[in-house]
Amino acid sequence: MEQSIQIGKEEKQLIVEDLKVRFFTSKGIVKAIDNLSFYIEEGESYGLVGESGSGKSVTATAAMDLIPDPPGRIIRGRIFINGYNILNDLERLVTIKVRSPYDVRIRRRKRLIKRHNYIMSGIRGDKVSMIFQEPFLSLNPVMTIGEQIKEAILLHSRVEISNSIIKRETLNEDDIAKMVDTLMAQPDNQTRKKLIARMCSQYAIPDLAKPFTDLYENSTDREFIMKESLALVSTKKVGLNLEELEQARNYFLLKDREHDLYLKLIEAEKQEDEVKIDEVRKQIYQIKSQIRSDYLLFVLKRLFLKRFMDRPFEEYADGRVLELLTEVNIAGPERVMDAYPHELSGGMLQRCMIAMAFSSNPKILIADEPTTALDVTTQAQILDLMREVNKTYNTSILFITHDLAVIAEMCDRVGVIYGGNLVEEAPVKEIFYNAKHPYTTGLMNAIPKAERRYEKSARLESIPGSVPNLISPPSGCRFHPRCKFKMDICSEKKPKLVEIEKNHKAACFLYSDEVEEEVEEDVP
Amino acid sequence: MVEEVGFEQTGLQTGKRYSPRVEQFTATLKSFLFYKSAVAGLIIVLIYVGITMVDIFDPALFGIPAATYTYINTYAPQYATTQQTYPSPFAPGFSHGFIYWFGGTIYNYPLLPAMFASLKFDLGYSFLIVAIGATAGSIVGVTAGYLGRWADELMMRITDIFFSIPFLIIVIAFTVAFTAPLHSSLNAMLLALIIVWWPIYARLTRSLALSTKSLNYVEAATAAGSSRIRNIFYHVFPNVLSPVFVQISLDLGSIILIFATLSFLGVGGFFPNGTYTFPELGGLISNGEVFMLSWSTNKILGTAIIWWPIVIPGIFLLIFTVSINLFGDGLRDALDPKLRK
Amino acid sequence: MELKYFIIRRGLIIIPTLMGLTVLVFILLWAFGPYQIAVAFNPDLHGNHGLATLANYLDQQGFSAAVINGQLQFTNPIGSYFRFVADLFTGNWGQVTFPSRVSTMTAIGVFIPNTIQLALGATILSVIIAIPLGTYIGARPNTPADAVGRIFSLSGYALPAFWLGYILIALFANHGIGLVASAFPYSGSGVAGATGVPIGEFGLSDPTHILLIDSLLAGNLSLFVSAVAHLVLPVVTITYGILAGILRFIRAGMVDAAGQEFIKTARAKGVPERLVIKKHIRKNALLPTVTVLGLLISGLLGGVVTVEIVFNYLGIGYLAVNFALGVQVWGILALTFVFGLILMITNLLVDVVYAFLDPRIRY
Repeated sequence: MEQSIQIGKEEKQLIVEDLKVRFFTSKGIVKAIDNLSFYIEEGESYGLVGESGSGKSVTATAAMDLIPDPPGRIIRGRIFINGYNILNDLERLVTIKVRSPYDVRIRRRKRLIKRHNYIMSGIRGDKVSMIFQEPFLSLNPVMTIGEQIKEAILLHSRVEISNSIIKRETLNEDDIAKMVDTLMAQPDNQTRKKLIARMCSQYAIPDLAKPFTDLYENSTDREFIMKESLALVSTKKVGLNLEELEQARNYFLLKDREHDLYLKLIEAEKQEDEVKIDEVRKQIYQIKSQIRSDYLLFVLKRLFLKRFMDRPFEEYADGRVLELLTEVNIAGPERVMDAYPHELSGGMLQRCMIAMAFSSNPKILIADEPTTALDVTTQAQILDLMREVNKTYNTSILFITHDLAVIAEMCDRVGVIYGGNLVEEAPVKEIFYNAKHPYTTGLMNAIPKAERRYEKSARLESIPGSVPNLISPPSGCRFHPRCKFKMDICSEKKPKLVEIEKNHKAACFLYSDEVEEEVEEDVP
Repeated sequence: MVEEVGFEQTGLQTGKRYSPRVEQFTATLKSFLFYKSAVAGLIIVLIYVGITMVDIFDPALFGIPAATYTYINTYAPQYATTQQTYPSPFAPGFSHGFIYWFGGTIYNYPLLPAMFASLKFDLGYSFLIVAIGATAGSIVGVTAGYLGRWADELMMRITDIFFSIPFLIIVIAFTVAFTAPLHSSLNAMLLALIIVWWPIYARLTRSLALSTKSLNYVEAATAAGSSRIRNIFYHVFPNVLSPVFVQISLDLGSIILIFATLSFLGVGGFFPNGTYTFPELGGLISNGEVFMLSWSTNKILGTAIIWWPIVIPGIFLLIFTVSINLFGDGLRDALDPKLRK
Repeated sequence: MELKYFIIRRGLIIIPTLMGLTVLVFILLWAFGPYQIAVAFNPDLHGNHGLATLANYLDQQGFSAAVINGQLQFTNPIGSYFRFVADLFTGNWGQVTFPSRVSTMTAIGVFIPNTIQLALGATILSVIIAIPLGTYIGARPNTPADAVGRIFSLSGYALPAFWLGYILIALFANHGIGLVASAFPYSGSGVAGATGVPIGEFGLSDPTHILLIDSLLAGNLSLFVSAVAHLVLPVVTITYGILAGILRFIRAGMVDAAGQEFIKTARAKGVPERLVIKKHIRKNALLPTVTVLGLLISGLLGGVVTVEIVFNYLGIGYLAVNFALGVQVWGILALTFVFGLILMITNLLVDVVYAFLDPRIRY
């Protein structure tokens, strides 16, 4: 997709501002998330820690706008993904009337919600991907792994795939000669292998990577290599209808442009810029009428012959799936591709999830407790894998976990969440060695450590009490009923998250007197 | 992880006000009241039960003549054999007194007391069947499920046989077969229905007993020296009760429908075909069939179409079956902690 | 490979059930008592006797209970059971006097095609309606559409089929009050008085006994149209009853599947909402529906009995009721056996098909 919309926050991949999430249940309104703000920079890995029920997973789901509705809803906030605020049309989607906490009427505007879902389905999985806690439950039990990854690929890279296929079909002797020259010029086998892989993927011949590599390893005779290459490539040319392929490419291009225009339209509507709205509407109309006039036959044909028309795409995607599965270090990718989720182990499935998440090279990866359900050794492998992909693709990661050891391994910066509020945020070292908020220090003291066994007090320290009920959370600072340093003000006012040291924020009256303004709102 | 709860947080010392069972009951009740349709269903079912009670103990309260069905008992066989034309019944209205509010049916018999009398039969006998079937089935099912192995296997195979024949067919066959030995087609039909119904409860309670058996607290009781029989009565049965009640409420509706179908088919010795004349809602509906044949001619002649002998008892029956289904559904949802909102 | 063993094992389970079925039928035979049994095994004694007169009549003929026991070797229950089983499986099913005096086998053989046609029609119609409707309702739980669907399926449970039949006749049949339409004939399968097709035994058409096919074979289009018209009301009546069960099950499956984690995954990878419902939720919801097909067929066969009586439709349900009313012992036994066989085979097929469809099920 074209990078048409930028708001000048490119270096920050994901920005969550002022997020407020509510769940409307028969027992009352659950105040799941309040005034939560954080950002993740490019290539950074940000950890969110907290107890169960503190709202970490809700934050993760909200960042993709995947909160199940009913019962939940994002009430307010801005979430910038790749510079675009996905909550631009939030206020317009529903009207919420709170008569009492048990009687909340939500009126949904179906047409707008449909449009919102449409733009979101273009963003999810493309710009931002997510992996989940339970790999066993997170994959469709009645589809093979291959099918599921393929689905993700075919959804977002249709234009790229058509381009590659067209390139392959038009590949001629000159191109191959150029290719061979470049490859012959490579100094060592390793770089050549990488280059071959990239080229093959570019030309939609990924399964030729291996024979090509063998070819260069076994021979240095240019004539021979040239001849063999030609033979190899010609086996891969299927003789597809180029015209049809180009038509498909152009159609998908138009569709993608339409999607981008809708993003623009929603943004313009947010800014209430009438001129721009009209302009974008006109463009959308143009595209629609172009599709109607030029591609009517194509669309109809696709409707009935989808299976046949998509075959080259599917074949290409199969190749990509193999490539992805190899990349996440799965042994025997061909076998795994045709396996159903119940036939694989948890670690394997989580690898497949990661492969699926990276199928369209997203800029942001949200990992919601990806290792919690796995045993320790598998956990380590998965963490290694995630770090590796983080490095190679320069992806930003939002890492959600309750396991502080994992945070120490993986993250650059950490936010500590308690009762739906961010209570502390600092670089990982600071959090571990210079925690400020009483809750964070409590968490740190609760980590079992080998050496502590031999100290005088052998008992683990724990935070007394349990996570507050978020239907009627404690007044003021939500942590005060469990806090050792409780003051009078704590139960009256809510502390604000302020920078108390460089790059170190905390929300606690021990360090700052700043009070979070409580605003009366329609939805409490 | 960090959630280490001290003693003061457990229920042991703070002390819950009620025993867990009372608390569970109140939770179920609250959750049941949340399902408005189920509550409405319950109210309607109670009204029907009330009507039955009044009809049993003091029909005069409804202004119904004491000799409720003597009329039909005396004349129906004659009419049936002599093939006379049927007199036109009164139309629904208030001009002929309370008992003719819903008009008359075959032989101009008043529909309202007929419906009430039918209801008495339907409710009473369906309850009898379900009660016997549920008790027998539960005992067999719980025992088989708890003992396991060959007892379980044997029970499963036996119930398999009953599930492998369509209900209606097996009921018809047994009713006809048992008529001679039992000297009454009604008794035969009741026996046939019980024979068909117990396997449902046996299957249901077996699976519940199986899952309860492996629960920790039952295993703990066994480890503490509790005997098998004690386990069955103290631990397994209480867990089985509520799903069985749900099934009973749903089955009451189905059995009444089967009664209706059987008496429509003329199997089971209902009024007016058999030797034993029992008023029954399905029979009441099918009595209206004699007027259906004149619908098309009446349409041409422009005279009143006699629709009520079929439609009114049908709606009376429909309201009951819908309500009891609503009630049963609501009860099931309320008892299922997963579905509790 | 595993699948093959599963099918074999599942097929073997049918043997004890089949034995149980024969025991049940045998008990049924015993329940009839000596005089009815005597009639059943001595075709010459067939006649319209009340039970009391039958005993007298048989006594006059020298058939006292003791004699019957001796003659039919019923003093040896095991031996007679095996003789009876042999009779059941060889199709040696005695005689019936309804619809005329023929062997039970012939009567059932002639009447069964019509019932199959009715049952197939109802199954197809209910599946055609249930899948899209269930998907639509299941994708929108707790909305007005859902409430309407709920009432619809509830009424399917709560309506007596014969009453629905009467109401449909009143509203739509040419014999009713013609309130809405009078397009459909209310009785029979359309063969009565029909010309242009060969008429065979019991007034049913030849060669297949299914008018729908026979009229086409004879090239009689107007008769074909009439046959279709005759089918509409009975099929709709049965469908209404069984639709409720499937609909409720699909809805529950959809709601259940929609709450699963993998649906969140599908949304997270950007699958459009329409495809989430069609490809991910529905596929998972429909699979378990296959398992209740057995129950469905059971309901269907019961429904066939009632509906055939309401519409005077000559099938085995019609036959069953008339056998019951006329106490045709062999007829009742044979039909119980046949219905049991049909259901057993259906259940077997359902299990095998489910094992094929759901990759998770490998026993």
